[in-house]
Amino acid sequence: MKGTFQRKYLGIPYALYLLVFVILPLVVIVSYAFTDSNGKPGIGNLLNFFTDPNTLGTLVYSLVLAFVTTLICLLIAYPVGYLLAMSSIRSKGAILMLMIMPMWINFTLRITALKELLTMFEGNLAFHPFMNSVIGMTYDFLPFMILPIYNQISRIDKSLLEAAADLGADPTQAFIRVMLPLSMPGVISGISMVFLPAMTNYVVLDMLYNSTYIMGSLIGSYFSAYDWHGGSMISLILLIMICLFTLLAGKDESQGNVRGGSVL
Amino acid sequence: MKKIIAVLFSVIVFISVIPPLPASAANEDVLTIRVCNWEEYIDEGGWDEEEVIDLESGDIFGETALYEEFEDWYYENYGQRVHIEYSCFGTNEELYNMLTLGDEFDLVAPSEYMIMKLLAEDRLVPFSDDFFDEENELNYYIRNVSPFIRETFESNEINGEYWNRYAACYMWGVVGFLYNPEAVSEEDVSTWNILVNEDYRRQMTLKDNVRDSYFATLGAIKGDLLLSDDFRNDPDYHERLAEEMNDTSPETVEGALTFLQQAKDNVYSFETDSGKADMVTGKVLVNLQWSGDAVYAMDQAEEEDFELDFSVPEECTNLWFDGWVMLKDGIGDSAEKQRACEAFINFLSRPDNAVRNMYYIGYTSSIAGGTDGDQIIEYIDWTYSAEEDEEDTVEYDLGYFFDGSLYGEDAGEGSGEYILTVPEEQTRRQLFAQYPPREVTDRSAIMRYFDSEANARINQMWICVRCYNIGKINAAGWVAIALAIVIVISAAVYMRLKEKRVKDVKVNRRPLRIRQPR
Repeated sequence: MKGTFQRKYLGIPYALYLLVFVILPLVVIVSYAFTDSNGKPGIGNLLNFFTDPNTLGTLVYSLVLAFVTTLICLLIAYPVGYLLAMSSIRSKGAILMLMIMPMWINFTLRITALKELLTMFEGNLAFHPFMNSVIGMTYDFLPFMILPIYNQISRIDKSLLEAAADLGADPTQAFIRVMLPLSMPGVISGISMVFLPAMTNYVVLDMLYNSTYIMGSLIGSYFSAYDWHGGSMISLILLIMICLFTLLAGKDESQGNVRGGSVL
Repeated sequence: MKKIIAVLFSVIVFISVIPPLPASAANEDVLTIRVCNWEEYIDEGGWDEEEVIDLESGDIFGETALYEEFEDWYYENYGQRVHIEYSCFGTNEELYNMLTLGDEFDLVAPSEYMIMKLLAEDRLVPFSDDFFDEENELNYYIRNVSPFIRETFESNEINGEYWNRYAACYMWGVVGFLYNPEAVSEEDVSTWNILVNEDYRRQMTLKDNVRDSYFATLGAIKGDLLLSDDFRNDPDYHERLAEEMNDTSPETVEGALTFLQQAKDNVYSFETDSGKADMVTGKVLVNLQWSGDAVYAMDQAEEEDFELDFSVPEECTNLWFDGWVMLKDGIGDSAEKQRACEAFINFLSRPDNAVRNMYYIGYTSSIAGGTDGDQIIEYIDWTYSAEEDEEDTVEYDLGYFFDGSLYGEDAGEGSGEYILTVPEEQTRRQLFAQYPPREVTDRSAIMRYFDSEANARINQMWICVRCYNIGKINAAGWVAIALAIVIVISAAVYMRLKEKRVKDVKVNRRPLRIRQPR
């Protein structure tokens, strides 16, 4: 019967949300990015970004900071996720909860606490701004790396490892040829959840006394100088980078066949 | 699909035609006034019993928020019901962006340079003539404002429009250094050059705000000139000082860049709000600070049983004001809105209410009192005066603020009625910060708003200070970055290829032979 409720109507609230809070702002950003302060269209803002050694330096600084943070998160999170998923201890849930518990508390509070802790260990924080920023970001983002890796590994069919052993693989070989490829989708989704936010999470830097701008604070400084055009362009460039990254990562994830198809 | 779009569209149309609900729909003759003020910049009441300020002229106590009390006061005196829709902003720039992006307010309280910007853009409504009528007993502002403030507002203009026509001063102060006297000598902290003093390496904070940092920088790089006797004794000293401290020429901005880059490597951080707490917990020793926040931090330190002092560098200081202005966008032609806004300013200017604000937020009110009560000077006396048996006391003259004059033969002199006897330490503590003496305001300059060209130049300078310059990466750095990129890319490519290989593998299976049961 026509006019009755259809299931697809359930999508309407979200479609509205999408329109008002995602599509519309995006249109505004794009229109600001490609105009100058007199409203004349052009790519002046784009050229400014790629010719100014300060903005380029900020991009490199943010990328390096995010890269180091991601690497350290990965080095800590993978063993934890692996051990937790493979072990047969009964208190697994409790340990996992300990890992994600910090996520329930607002991160500015957590960083404030971290600041006091670090001051206790290091004394004056201002001498190692980069290191402190990495510690702060790692502290902030670690759960986002552990969870997807743990989930992925615990979904792997353990009989695949037994099969590898049956076929003569020693534990190292089994790990490299079976475990690692199968856990990759978790690793990749963990990376995308850490790397991208780490490029813009300037509050951590502010609170831990790193006075160097990263992408997030750079955009903020443009806005507080009333230069919405330059700020929008930087946001747009960041957005495009994020899109490229998710495009690359997302493809892998969709093919992540937990049942072992890709090991064969 | 079409139907969905139609539904979507109708919902959007429906939403956009619903009129916004008025604050109190039931009572239509309530006038709503939208006020936007700095965060924590008004007495919001709820004081403890023991917080009563017991002055000779009566007790002062904050029970409910001043903006709520105003509603009843206005009804009693003007016979009209108003509702104050009170909201807050965090920085002048934030307020400006809010106004530009379409938020509507009737009355806001930005700083002097933002007032000048709004005035230059013709967005302010001038006060009515009645606002300046000293005969009207409800005009607390004009009857009680300090002559020091009043004359400053009467003598500063932008494009020929004098401030006092458009703005009523709310709070004011200077900028200086909050410091820990046990570790920092008074001499070191009496110059802006302490920011590059290596003795305090990584133990000072600057403001994360280009205007305050730029002012401090100008004070440091122009120090020799500003301190020279020739300059000090020039009959046009104040004009010349104002000119020097508003210098935005390319050469000066260049010099400021060099200084700030040096300072950035020497200070602990650029802070917005954490400076006070870091002073109290002892993380830093010197903190560039506004006088009102310094008062707050010194009070906090006292509670923790140690001492923080305030110093204003010898070169000069930044005299700043926050003032109430009415916006064209909000008020329009509405005479009754304008009357209510002006009454709101007057209500806050009643001396007892000014005391409540000062007690609550720590900043200094523009109100001196006198005509409608002596609560202000009584409050200062109540807070800071020495006990009778105290030995180490000094006389502290506040005449310039209460009944002095900026101009004429007795400029800077008061009648001598406003001299307090205070403990000696108060000459560098809360009293000094809250009511700086005449010699401090004498070496102060107002920092005006910069035109868009100068603004762009200074902001670019600030970005240079704060950003990591790509030129600073050395050869080894580039090699490391290149290596990282190569590793990441080759890992991605390897995974891709492997996947492809896996997909391309052809498995030749023998067809299953299932033995059929006979």
